[in-house]
Amino acid sequence: MKLEEYRDIIPNFEAFLEAMQKPQPYWIRVNTLKISEEKLISRLRAKGFRFDKFEGMNAYRIVSMPVKHPGATIEHSMGYYYVQDLASMIPAYVLNPRPGDKVLDMAAAPGSKTTLMAQLMENRGTIVANDTRPNRLRALGSNIERLGITNTVLTKGDARTKKFVIYFDKILLDAPCSGEGVFRKNPKDKMPGLREHLYLSNLQKALLKNAWRHLKERGTLVYSTCTFNPLENEEVVSYAVDKLNMEILKVEFDVPHCKGVARWRDREYEHVHEYVMRIYPHLLDTGGMFIALLKK
Amino acid sequence: MPYSKNNVYRDYFVRRFGIPVDIMDNYEFYESTSGVWAFSGAKDIDLSKLDAEVVGIRALRVSKALKPTTAFLRVVGHYATKNVVQLNSEQALEALNGIDIEGVCGSLHGYVIIRTEHDVLGCGVCREGTLISQIPKKYRPDKTWL
Repeated sequence: MKLEEYRDIIPNFEAFLEAMQKPQPYWIRVNTLKISEEKLISRLRAKGFRFDKFEGMNAYRIVSMPVKHPGATIEHSMGYYYVQDLASMIPAYVLNPRPGDKVLDMAAAPGSKTTLMAQLMENRGTIVANDTRPNRLRALGSNIERLGITNTVLTKGDARTKKFVIYFDKILLDAPCSGEGVFRKNPKDKMPGLREHLYLSNLQKALLKNAWRHLKERGTLVYSTCTFNPLENEEVVSYAVDKLNMEILKVEFDVPHCKGVARWRDREYEHVHEYVMRIYPHLLDTGGMFIALLKK
Repeated sequence: MPYSKNNVYRDYFVRRFGIPVDIMDNYEFYESTSGVWAFSGAKDIDLSKLDAEVVGIRALRVSKALKPTTAFLRVVGHYATKNVVQLNSEQALEALNGIDIEGVCGSLHGYVIIRTEHDVLGCGVCREGTLISQIPKKYRPDKTWL
C-alpha cells in the first residue's frame, strides 16, 4: 500500500493506518452570522442529532444523526451550519482574518474556508475568493449565498498568473493537492504517484509565488494542503523561505498535531519542520492537514 | 461581469420593509445585467479592475418591478418592521414547499418577508389576501429531510 512510504515520517503509524481505513466522521460548524451556537445545537438535538463539541472551537463532531447526510435538514438549507471537517477549519483560524482586513483566498471553491473566514471577519473587510473552473465557482457562489456572506468578491482565473490588482493583508493558499488526507472520506480515489506529487509541487510553488506578489509587506500567508507527501508540503514551504525570502512563523493552535518532516529522501527541511503543523487522522479522528504560516 | 455602484437601492429596503438605515448603511449596492448585488466589503475596492464575477450576494432582481431575493432577505429580514408575514411552523413548511397560503396577508399587498418566530424564510408576494411563496425551489426541503 502506498501509504507505507510514510511509515518513517508519521508517528504512531499503525494507529494512522487504522484510522485511514475507518469512515471519517462528520463535523459541522455553526454559521454565527445567522444563528448562535446554542440555538442551532439545541434545535438539531431536538431533531435527534447527537454531538461532541470540540472544546474552545465552534466545531461539533456528529456522534449520531437521524438522517443519512448531515446536510439533510431545513437548518442546513437556511445556512445555519456548514458541514466541514475540523482539520479543514484550522487554516482559517491560523490566518486569523479580522474585520477590516483585505484577504485573498486563492483557490477558494467550494468555500468552506472562505465562509469561515467571512464569519471570523463578521462579514466586514473584504475577501477576494478565486477559483479556476466555472462549476467550482458556482458551488462557491451557492455556499456564499446560502450562508449569507456579503463581504466577498468572486473572481475566476488561473491563480498562478492572475493579477488581483490589490495588495492583501492576509492570503490563504489552500492549494490544490493530491488529497491523501481525505482518502478516508473518498476511499475510491486513486492514490497519487511520484509524478503527480512532483507536478503538484511545481504548481503549488507557482501559486505561492503569485500569492507572495500580492501580499503587503509584513502581510501573512497561510499555506495549507490536505495531503501527507512532503513534496507538496515542506518542500513548497522551503521554496517560500529560500527563494522568496519569506519568514516562517510557528503555527500556534491548540489542537493535537505533529511537527513537520525534517528529511524526506534526499531533501532536508530542518529549517522549516519545527514551525509547521501536521494533523493526522489518528490524532483527532479527522482528515489530514498540513499548515504553514509565512510572513513577507 | 461589469458592476456599477448605485446605492439608490438601499432606500428600497428602508422604505419597503422598514429596515433601519444604519443596518442598510452596511451595504453598498451594485448593478449588473443579472440584478442588484449587496456588498458589505471595503468601499475602496475597484471592482472593475478586479474583474469580479460575483460581488456579495444578489439582493434584487430587476424586471418591471424590483423583486427582493430570499438570500438577502435572510440576511437583513430580522430587522424588518413592515410588510412582514408571520407564519406558524406548519404554514412555514407549506411556504418552503411553494404552496400558496390563504388568509395570512391581511391588508398587505406586493412583496413581503416571510418569517416565523425564529427564522426568516425568505420572499413572498401577497395578492388578494393570498401569500404566494417566492422562495426558490433549491431551498425546498426534500421529503427525507428533518
